Amino acid sequence: MCITDKLVSNLIEELNCDTIFTIPLFGGIAESVVVTWIIMAVMAIAAICLVRNLKVENPGKKQLLLETAISGIYKFFEETIGEHGKRYIPYLMTIMLYLGVANLIGLIGFKPPTKDLNVTAAMAIMSIILIEYAGIYQKGVKNWLKSFAQPVAIIAPINVLEIVIRPLSLCMRLFGNVLGGFVVMELIKLLVPVFVPVVFSCYFDIFDGLIQAFVFVFLTALFIKEATE
Amino acid sequence: MFIALGAGIAVLTGLGAGIGIGIATGKATDAIARQPEAEGKISKALLLGAALAEATAIYGFVIALLIILLLK
Repeated sequence: MCITDKLVSNLIEELNCDTIFTIPLFGGIAESVVVTWIIMAVMAIAAICLVRNLKVENPGKKQLLLETAISGIYKFFEETIGEHGKRYIPYLMTIMLYLGVANLIGLIGFKPPTKDLNVTAAMAIMSIILIEYAGIYQKGVKNWLKSFAQPVAIIAPINVLEIVIRPLSLCMRLFGNVLGGFVVMELIKLLVPVFVPVVFSCYFDIFDGLIQAFVFVFLTALFIKEATE
Repeated sequence: MFIALGAGIAVLTGLGAGIGIGIATGKATDAIARQPEAEGKISKALLLGAALAEATAIYGFVIALLIILLLK
């Protein structure tokens, strides 16, 4: 019983988003926000370092690598998101980079921001706003409203419900996967503290984190395609 | 005691997700064996299907966690 008590208290501690410090005007700052700032700083520095000295004529190795990666991702998303959704690809790439780094940052000792339900909820809400905005931009307000009653008027309530269900499912999928991986890892560490966790960590921390970042962006792209068609 | 049982029952949702993802992967392997050149499209569809099927298991897990943590 004492082991389970310890596990449960450990889990509750991980689930709580502790306030690290308080800024007078803005209120409490949670740990996930601070880790997000760190990710932002690292990625901004990486971006500045990578795009320096780009040339049109005789590009360097770094630039060639960068161009191959970017055009590969563009090509992949263009197939998924369709003709009208091209303008949203940079946003999707940003989200993918952020989520990928956020899921992997647990490896170097930080608490992954995606383990905080508030962060995944914010990402999901941003996604649904973008999806509906894409629909309105593409079709105009009148046709966007009409699209709720398609293919038949009787399923309009289900279409309206989808506005709530989609972000909920996106948010819960990301949060549940990261937290689930974490809980399983804790249980394994409790049973066999030596060597075995390393093997499972490769799956739960690295593979699962990257797959979930990809799935989040992929689903958003798919919904945008559906909204703009 | 009963709380733990309830959490265990909630996690049974994993059954459906496991069966669903298993079938999807099996069919995808079949399809790739038949048409290796269509691998990109098949694996994309497989990933989407697996992500959607997995969601039920995740919901079960979240509910189980809520049961343990809130009813403790």
